[in-house]
Amino acid sequence: MRFTITREKLQEGLAAVAASIPAKTTLPVLANILVETTEKGIRLSGTDLDIAVSTEISADVETGGAITIPAKKLSEIARELPPAPVRVASSGEQRVTLDCGRAHFRLLGLPRDEFPSFPSIKFSESWRVRSGELQKLISHTAFAVSTEESRPILNGVLWELRPDMMRMVATNGHRLAKMQVPIKSSGMPSADLIVPPKALEQIRRLFPADEELEIARGENHLGFRSPFTAVYTRLIEGPYPNYEQVIPKDNDKVAIADKAALTSALKRMSVIASDQTHRIRMSFNAGMAKFSVQTPDLGDAQDELAVRFTGDPLDIGFNASYLLEILRFIPTDEVRMTFRAPERAATLEPEQWSDPAQYLCLVMPLRLVD
Amino acid sequence: MPRISVLPSAVADQIAAGEVVERPASVVKELVENALDAGATSIDIAVDDGGRARIRVSDDGSGMDREDAVLALSRHATSKIRKASDLVGIGSFGFRGEALPAICSVSRMDVETAPADGAGTRVEAAAGTVASVSDAARRRGTTITVSSLFYNAPARLKFMRGARSEWRAIVDTLTLVALARRDVRITVTHDGAPALTLPPASSWRARVAALWGAAAAEKLVDVDDVAGPIRVEGLVESPQDVGTGTRRIFLAVNGRAIRDPGLVRAAEAAYRSTIPAGLRPTLLLSLTLPGSDVDVNVHPAKAEVRFRDRWPVERAVEGAVRRALGTMDAAATIGVRSWWSERGDDLPAPVPLGVESLRDTGRAEPGPLFAEAVGVAELEAVADPRPPAPDPPPLEIPPLTQWRRTYICFEHEQGMVLIDQHSAHERVLFERFMGVLERGESPAQRLLFPLTLHLGPAESEAFDANRELLERLGFEIEGFGGHTLIVRAVPMPHPRFDPERCLRDTLDALTGDRLASGAARHEKLAATVACKAAIKAGEALSLDEMRALFAALAGTTLPAHDVHGRATIVRIGWDELERRFGRR
Repeated sequence: MRFTITREKLQEGLAAVAASIPAKTTLPVLANILVETTEKGIRLSGTDLDIAVSTEISADVETGGAITIPAKKLSEIARELPPAPVRVASSGEQRVTLDCGRAHFRLLGLPRDEFPSFPSIKFSESWRVRSGELQKLISHTAFAVSTEESRPILNGVLWELRPDMMRMVATNGHRLAKMQVPIKSSGMPSADLIVPPKALEQIRRLFPADEELEIARGENHLGFRSPFTAVYTRLIEGPYPNYEQVIPKDNDKVAIADKAALTSALKRMSVIASDQTHRIRMSFNAGMAKFSVQTPDLGDAQDELAVRFTGDPLDIGFNASYLLEILRFIPTDEVRMTFRAPERAATLEPEQWSDPAQYLCLVMPLRLVD
Repeated sequence: MPRISVLPSAVADQIAAGEVVERPASVVKELVENALDAGATSIDIAVDDGGRARIRVSDDGSGMDREDAVLALSRHATSKIRKASDLVGIGSFGFRGEALPAICSVSRMDVETAPADGAGTRVEAAAGTVASVSDAARRRGTTITVSSLFYNAPARLKFMRGARSEWRAIVDTLTLVALARRDVRITVTHDGAPALTLPPASSWRARVAALWGAAAAEKLVDVDDVAGPIRVEGLVESPQDVGTGTRRIFLAVNGRAIRDPGLVRAAEAAYRSTIPAGLRPTLLLSLTLPGSDVDVNVHPAKAEVRFRDRWPVERAVEGAVRRALGTMDAAATIGVRSWWSERGDDLPAPVPLGVESLRDTGRAEPGPLFAEAVGVAELEAVADPRPPAPDPPPLEIPPLTQWRRTYICFEHEQGMVLIDQHSAHERVLFERFMGVLERGESPAQRLLFPLTLHLGPAESEAFDANRELLERLGFEIEGFGGHTLIVRAVPMPHPRFDPERCLRDTLDALTGDRLASGAARHEKLAATVACKAAIKAGEALSLDEMRALFAALAGTTLPAHDVHGRATIVRIGWDELERRFGRR
């Protein structure tokens, strides 16, 4: 194998793949990047066995071939190279040399055969989605996934595909985020997929917003690809909990508040809230939301905020960090909150959002003790 | 002839002797206490044949002039009180004026005394009668020799034990005195051979080392605490050593050795949850409290006292011992012991870092989603550059590393330290849950998807028995026919908490539990839930989680032990390492 590539192209390709390389692994070859020559250039691939990323970059190929090279060292070298074309050549199965300007490196790699093969996914049965739509769904929902290992199903984002729309839902059992966007049908199957958030993050990061992605499903895997880059991920198996059932339909108390002002008030209260539960109390009354917090051994605090509130007065407790987190993703200046009772779920939605997407977040309250 | 008559005083003295003088050890006790009351700084005790043949106690105290020396042998003659009101707040060991005449009435006694160096007095008496008074030249102080004890009281004589047994009783008596009065030099010889040499000791530890050896002293933890007018000091056994050696109990109130099962129980209560049930610790405690709060005139041998108000005294003892065990001194150690008093001092009150530090980090814009934002569990607040509170000073957290996904280790001035993460977290949660159970409330996070638990009959029973307490801890549970529970809300003690597993394991562990009541029951439940809720060995912790755990552990009252009495902290001193590397 022998090829020449620009320094910038090499850096770009490595940056795309590097995030899929596991920091620690028991399988040494996973710390390496697979470098293969293609018709138009070279393909770099990395995997941690859960997700795999590969990207193709242009290069002048003299002789074809493939080798794996330690990812960390290769990235560090690429970063320090002088601005000159980089010549890469392999000799035998494991040795590779890299020349750039007058710099010369010789690295020990591993044979290509040791690199795990990617899941077999038939892109002949693929469907297409615009990358920007996916990014929007991912960035508004994936924050809500569970990081706890006890219920693996909640560690993934539910991606529902329907003929006229797609929807992502994530929850950790205490709060939930759900967004759906209408789509023009393009041969998309109806399916419920549970995708690890790590893969979604790669998808959000690697593909430009205006790109059309080809998506296809293998037995246990999902593949996303654009003309140059592909991401494969394992799917999480199992039935996702019936989230529709827990989304309240009869919340009769509505408060509309300025998002920035609400965020500031919650942050102020958080200073005094307990480190464990972040519990704050919110009391809604006509035109006013009162906040209070009391933490034994620390102190207490109160605040007030003018809101548009309709319904009977209500006292309710929340984990302030859950509210603050959701507020970060509310796309409008005002937020609409609905409630039913102190032990029932509350919802947060954008107010007056001129977007075809629908966004809903849900938070379960904390028990208030008087 | 009247059938009732007043007994001759000699007979009355013999009867009193029965109360005060039971055996040679009581003679030693009375004579040594007299010496101490006379202000002696050095006492020499010589005992022959277990005290059966001869007991001689010499001191360098104030001595007596001739008149006093003779009078001292008559009943209720004392220099220590003058009137009844002096009995309140008595500061001396003796005061009843009973001891010398009582001893004298059942032995041959020889008193040599001088109020100043030079001209002194010698009084010889037998069976309570003064036989001769003569001049004697001696240094300031008093020497009393008691020989042929009980020679004229055959009933007593018959009940004297063998020399070895009586000698052992004398040693026990002297041990109490030696602990009560560390400032006095005491030497003891038995049949002419030196038995004990105790130089004046500046600390409890030094006196204990002189009495029982340095190894015994190393197993003890210093107690020194003041609660209101009550000061408690001394040494108690560190929990991991309890049960490994002879149990010794010493209690003193205002310098007087006493017996008091109530105070022992209070001190033992402080060990609760640090040692396995059934083991009893060594306790050497001295209480100082205003003389008016304690009545010592309860028992002729003054082995018991009565407190005006017993409750605060027991509280003070329990609190002092608990605090002592809470310092890292009580931690198990490997190798050479290094005292860590400054460590104990700089473990301050809780610092504002919880494992669950979740405070919003102040990022206003939606940031990159994953690395930071997903982590409800991440501990950004720890790294958050927030202005530190000026008071109390922030806890200094050393660089921590995790070993075997089980131990958190760090370097300390005096050695390397390992913390067992499960034990440590268990201790943190236990104290938190106890607080919740005693204050009666805990936040409960409602669940979007309620948990369903199917229980066996035994678990259901355990649930019914503990339902109310579980609800106080934050579990909101509905029975759902038969043995099915619906859990609608759960506590969130830390981000990795798995409520379903915790509840199931807890009910399993509580199965077949006898119904305790009150505090014991709270403790049992809190300990069980803490054990089940704590992070396990084998879980990889992030640096921030380790830091938060370290801080939380430092904030507990008993950081050194988990609820099963196992050590949470183990130290390996530098000297131990250096020895192993052959550097010393």
